[in-house]
Amino acid sequence: MQLIKRAFKTWMLWELVKGLALTMRYLFKPKITVEYPEERTPLSPRFRGLHALRRYDSGEERCIACKLCEVVCPALAIVIESEEREDGSRRTTRYDIDMTKCIYCGLCQEACPVDAIVETQHFEYASETREALYYTKEMLLDVGDRYESQIAANIAADAKYH
Amino acid sequence: MTTLFINEEEVTVSSGTSILEACRKQGVDVPYFCYHPELSVAANCRMCLVEVEGWGKPAASCCTPVGEGMRVTTQSKSLSKDREMIMEYLLIHHPLDCPVCDQGGACKLQDYTEEHGAEHGRYKEVKRAVVDHNLGPFVSTCMTRCIHCTRCVRFADEIAGTGDMGVLNRSDHMRIEGVVEDALASELSGNLADICPVGALLDKPSLDVSRPWEVKRHRSICTQCPQGCDIVIESRGDEVIRIKPDYAANEPWICDRGRYVHDAFRAKERILTPFIRDASGVQAVNWDMAVEKIVRLLKGKRVGIVFSPDWSIEGLTAIRLLHDCVFDDAKVAFDLHRRDMRPFAFEEGFGMTSKQIVDANEVVILGSDLRQRLPILMQGLRQRSLAGKPVIRIGAMNYRTNSELSADALIRPREWAAVIARAMQQLKDLGKSAAGMDAWLSSVSERHEAGKLLADALLSDSCALLVGEEIRSHVDAAALIHGLDLIARASGHGEEGRDARNLIPEGMNASLLSAVFGDVRTSVGDLFDAAHDGELDALLLIGSDPLGDGLFSMQAKRAMGKVPLVQIGAVSGQVSEYADVMLPASAYSEVEGTFINMSGEIHLADEPLSTVGDARPLWKVMMRLIQGFGMDIPAVDMNEIRASVQSYLPSLREVWGQGVDHNTWRMPVARQRDANVLPVGVNPAMPLDVISRYSMYREGAWVRASASLVEAGNIRALDDVLVHPNTLKEAGLTVGECVIRTASGNYTFDVGVRDDVVEGVLFISKRGVAGDLSCEVMASLGGGQ
Repeated sequence: MQLIKRAFKTWMLWELVKGLALTMRYLFKPKITVEYPEERTPLSPRFRGLHALRRYDSGEERCIACKLCEVVCPALAIVIESEEREDGSRRTTRYDIDMTKCIYCGLCQEACPVDAIVETQHFEYASETREALYYTKEMLLDVGDRYESQIAANIAADAKYH
Repeated sequence: MTTLFINEEEVTVSSGTSILEACRKQGVDVPYFCYHPELSVAANCRMCLVEVEGWGKPAASCCTPVGEGMRVTTQSKSLSKDREMIMEYLLIHHPLDCPVCDQGGACKLQDYTEEHGAEHGRYKEVKRAVVDHNLGPFVSTCMTRCIHCTRCVRFADEIAGTGDMGVLNRSDHMRIEGVVEDALASELSGNLADICPVGALLDKPSLDVSRPWEVKRHRSICTQCPQGCDIVIESRGDEVIRIKPDYAANEPWICDRGRYVHDAFRAKERILTPFIRDASGVQAVNWDMAVEKIVRLLKGKRVGIVFSPDWSIEGLTAIRLLHDCVFDDAKVAFDLHRRDMRPFAFEEGFGMTSKQIVDANEVVILGSDLRQRLPILMQGLRQRSLAGKPVIRIGAMNYRTNSELSADALIRPREWAAVIARAMQQLKDLGKSAAGMDAWLSSVSERHEAGKLLADALLSDSCALLVGEEIRSHVDAAALIHGLDLIARASGHGEEGRDARNLIPEGMNASLLSAVFGDVRTSVGDLFDAAHDGELDALLLIGSDPLGDGLFSMQAKRAMGKVPLVQIGAVSGQVSEYADVMLPASAYSEVEGTFINMSGEIHLADEPLSTVGDARPLWKVMMRLIQGFGMDIPAVDMNEIRASVQSYLPSLREVWGQGVDHNTWRMPVARQRDANVLPVGVNPAMPLDVISRYSMYREGAWVRASASLVEAGNIRALDDVLVHPNTLKEAGLTVGECVIRTASGNYTFDVGVRDDVVEGVLFISKRGVAGDLSCEVMASLGGGQ
């Protein structure tokens, strides 16, 4: 009996029919493909993308050159130089992140006592040259200015879990 | 000796030691803030509590002496609770600004909070804020961070001797107050930032620049004065961040001059590449072109070599090799402060160690502003006078000291021979004599009463004569030093072990210089005069800056304007305006090398900073020159150059060998037993004797290249030229611009008055401005205001 059943399935191309049936089923189901870049998946507020340096509402940069991000960075991607600004406050004169070294672990933003360095949800900054991935203080502040509302919203969303 | 038990372990310490010191000796960790091994005990932080068995309450270990059989516990549940409470109390008013505080990462309060503090603060009320002080160019303050350990107050009181800090008020209103603001007039002020356990007092020049974890530490030797302190240079990459004392060495403090000179290591005055001057101006070239030009300038010429004594001994010996290989008839000079080139009875350098001087029964400072010249030794003398031992000073200016002087005789430089003769007479009358004393004594007719101080001091069991720049640069220096040698020997202070003869040298390596260059040295003044008079064809300056330092700036200027000049060095200075070729040599902090200090102690530097530009260690530059002149190179590596040094000083073989304790090894100072120089007397052609000031903020090419020291020098500047008010009155003049007549011509300077100057002395306080006057021995004040 088993033998007859198997011979029948073989000769009737049963597996093929079964497979095509699945194909037909999916053919008429709604599609889940996300048509990037026109469509995007949602990102977690904790997503770790491009870095940004933030400012206070007054426009004053937050970073106080404590260098904790520099020392915690496992990839040694951050370089900071600092001096006393004319008004006596401690500020960076140089804040560089080498995005080719960075491993996007997020330790820098965890170390930051003033929420100055954060990782945004922005991840589309691929470039054709390495030089374009060496971010300076001005570039990072600029990223911060552009994404501030998003950064603030993410920090607010995540705040209750701290 | 007392035996006690610390955490059940038996410890034996000397009686009177505090429990804390016993714990430190044993390596047991007891937290503390206010205790400092070099300062008195205040016992006000209460952090060092320990339990002693049988005592009802915990004891502050820093102020509790050990007792026989005492059983001390440093860790227990109740102690943890106590420490937690003390930390909470200290942190009540301490701001939470560790991220912007330079102390962060090297802060006791931070560490102990981590170790002993509570998890959360309970204090929710308003925190206090305290007004900051201006403590001068080197120390920055943030008094809100202060935890009132009073280390700085005790430092100002006990060490610096300025006493210009104190504690005001109590409890919440307690604050450390600079009693005289803007005037922490101490040459040791930089140490305040080191002793502050929190971030209240910080290093101003390096404020907000670096973090303790990112600096690399290089053990090195300071060559800013003959003391040769052990230092640790902190660098980050190519930058030099700060200099600190080497706490592993004996001396806990360093002076501001040695500490803040570090910005000169990377100053724009550094010579980075070889330069040559041609018709179109000065231009950077490569080594080959520069050496070629030097060979063209110097080959077959009569050359005068002037160098600085502060190079490593390997570098100095390489200069001698250059002399022997290429210019064997060249004149060589290095004493920018020596007029009299007759052999000195005792060569420059100390017969005693600093410790022996501090411990001696009597100390006599002869003509030296020791506080500016050797601040760390002066600090030792201050501790000595605090302990009630006498310090006597004889000299032409009542230099400000931070220490009590038991006797202070003010004399004019022309009276030195009379002072020594008076002392000699007294010794002779007591039946003490030395060979040659009678001849010396009969050649001086006057006697000066200050000599009694000298003779009385020499009659003591142990005595130290600190012979300073007023005698060293005297026209009759050799005779005066011979006279001092005679009285030292007559009173039994001439021999090893009881030696009293200490001649403060101009710079480092004094004992090496007399051994290596003894047979070829000449006077700097003569050398420059010879160049001016056409007896020399070219000058080679190696690290020396005769325009800024010393007594011969006028002669130097004249000579350099006349003959070609080759400058080899690390900092350019004013000299480079005259230089036809400049070669860069590495700084003292950037070489592997050996240095000998004034007491003959050896210091090895083997963790050099990275050098800048194309600079090379001096000995390599010398070898490159020898090669350029087509000679065989006498030494190709450090071992060979050290072998050459040993041919002059065989005893150094041990130093570079294994197993020599550098703390005890000393190189004896050379003695000139057969020198017999009689005073020729000073012809009193003019009424005023000229003395110039040694200022630690102005002297030395490195210091002039350091922006922070120059700033400090400007704050502490005096008038260009000072005289006693009576001197000015006698001349019928008033304060302001006066004409000063000298043998070489008339000058116009701002003349100020000060009671500290002896009558009949013209004191040049600003060598940078009134530089050319320094070469004069005598002057008179003219009218024509």
